[in-house]
Amino acid sequence: MEPVLSVRGLTVTFGSFTAVEDVSFDIHAGQTLAVVGESGSGKSVTALSIMRLVELGTRGKIERGEILFRAPDGEMIDLVQQPEGEMRAIRGNQISMIFQEPLTSLNPVYSVGDQVAEAVILHQGLDKEAANERVLEMFRLVRIPEAEKRMVQFPHEMSGGMRQRVMIAMALSCDPKVLIADEPTTALDVTIQAQILGLMRDLREQTGAAVLIITHDMGVVAEVADDVVVMNRANVVERGPVTQIFEAATEPYTRALLASVPRLGSMAGRDEPAPFDLVEYQP
Amino acid sequence: MKQIAARIAWSAGLILAVIVMCFSLIHLAPGDVAIVIAGDSGAGDPEVIAEIREDLGLDDPFLVQLGGYVGDVVQGDLGTSYRFNEPVTDLIVTRLWPTFLLVGTAVSFAIVIGVLVGVFTARRPESPISHGVTVFSLTGYSMPVFWTGLLLIIMFASNVQWFPVSGMRDVRLDGNWLEEWVDIAHHLVLPSITLGVIYLAQYSRLSRASMLEVLQSDYVRTARAKGLTERRVVYKHALRNAVIPVVTVAGLQFGQMLSGALLVETVFNWPGLGRLAADSVFQRDAPVLLGILILSSTLVVIINILTDVVYRLIDPRIRVGAATK
Repeated sequence: MEPVLSVRGLTVTFGSFTAVEDVSFDIHAGQTLAVVGESGSGKSVTALSIMRLVELGTRGKIERGEILFRAPDGEMIDLVQQPEGEMRAIRGNQISMIFQEPLTSLNPVYSVGDQVAEAVILHQGLDKEAANERVLEMFRLVRIPEAEKRMVQFPHEMSGGMRQRVMIAMALSCDPKVLIADEPTTALDVTIQAQILGLMRDLREQTGAAVLIITHDMGVVAEVADDVVVMNRANVVERGPVTQIFEAATEPYTRALLASVPRLGSMAGRDEPAPFDLVEYQP
Repeated sequence: MKQIAARIAWSAGLILAVIVMCFSLIHLAPGDVAIVIAGDSGAGDPEVIAEIREDLGLDDPFLVQLGGYVGDVVQGDLGTSYRFNEPVTDLIVTRLWPTFLLVGTAVSFAIVIGVLVGVFTARRPESPISHGVTVFSLTGYSMPVFWTGLLLIIMFASNVQWFPVSGMRDVRLDGNWLEEWVDIAHHLVLPSITLGVIYLAQYSRLSRASMLEVLQSDYVRTARAKGLTERRVVYKHALRNAVIPVVTVAGLQFGQMLSGALLVETVFNWPGLGRLAADSVFQRDAPVLLGILILSSTLVVIINILTDVVYRLIDPRIRVGAATK
């Protein structure tokens, strides 16, 4: 099966610092790829580079590589080479993104309904009334209770979980081919995390979108991913199907990352957690 | 709405306190008003002075005088000017609108240009234009108002004669209302730039800092991720958030701007309240001075209430914050 998004040899720098180096992976329609790694490994920069947001508002620069995306006409286009105007037509429309912090990712001075409608009006050319209908439909799809009432509310009037649902509704409002979720559950408590992950899985099945999920939480990976890419210090350490990574990881760094997850009963007979040896990945 | 009503009620009490304080301060000031009034005509005749004291009720106990004055003010009577022998209210009303015109134009000029300059420099923080604007802002901020005024007069009214040197109207002009307004606008340019430039410098610095912070925020990243143009990201999503500190400072600075207007009106011979206030200090015209003090305090209070209203319009978090108190 042809991938919907194919990243080839991506290298991103911030001045003299290399944040992502020679990263490659493919994402297929209807599948979820998890990019995992500790903080600072380059996961989020990879995601922002796909949207070409790394060049807007930050000093990031895509130095090398290709980000091939299957356009609606079936042709593979290299996002790195697209002019900014073309990228704006793709962002939020064919590739959309949800972020880690639902508390700060929505503009505090506009109602949540207006913020979702803005994307619909922009990309689908609907008028305000039709856009509001679409927003209502999306709010119901992401299971926001009393959707009509919620549309006119401001972000500060909603809980973290509800705000993340609004973000998901915004991201899916234009039926994207690829959904990038940058640590979508990190800022949420465990019960809400499970709800949001369940929702994302259901929506992926309904829409057939490819999902790229960025996380450092191995529990989330086990829950939602089909394939996994493990990153450390700007490089890909290992990649493979989720079962292979969990059951037969070949790289010591991947095994150490999996071993760092606390397990029930692992403290038996001890008063405090035991430190484990750090594994340095050498590309 | 309840909060605004409460603010208005609270402000009425504040204005009353201001009246009592201003009246007490003027009463405590050294010198005898009756001697000043009698100075020209009575030439120090004790009988004339005694008569004036009795007419004006200056022999009454302080509290009686205060009570009488507060009662008159509540009914809209600010007394009679010693110098012009005209009701203070009439004098103030005549001079009020030129000051409003001057301060209003200066505030609008400072906020609009200041915010636009701030946004421009925040979007290109390292560009030579941005550095140039920063230097210009700091220069504008460092120059005393009266000196800026004199410089502008020398440069644009004396050397190149683009604008009139002083006044509000050309007395030789005999035209229709449109020509009169154009003439007033022409006279207004230099005084309003003089008064506004110091605030423009502050607002441009403030909005630049605020905009730089807002442009790094998560919701601006979300707006970009939606595919919006950079112009829409900046002017719709970032600006409304970045302008909140400017509104705060502009509201707080209104009192300062009124005192700045006093200097500008003196330099440009602008027939506003500032010049009337300065003249009444030198002439010891206590009722006029007191009237202007009360009016200025009331204006500051009103502007603060308006700032609160504007806040609520810009930022919905404040609306709810107040309602849930």
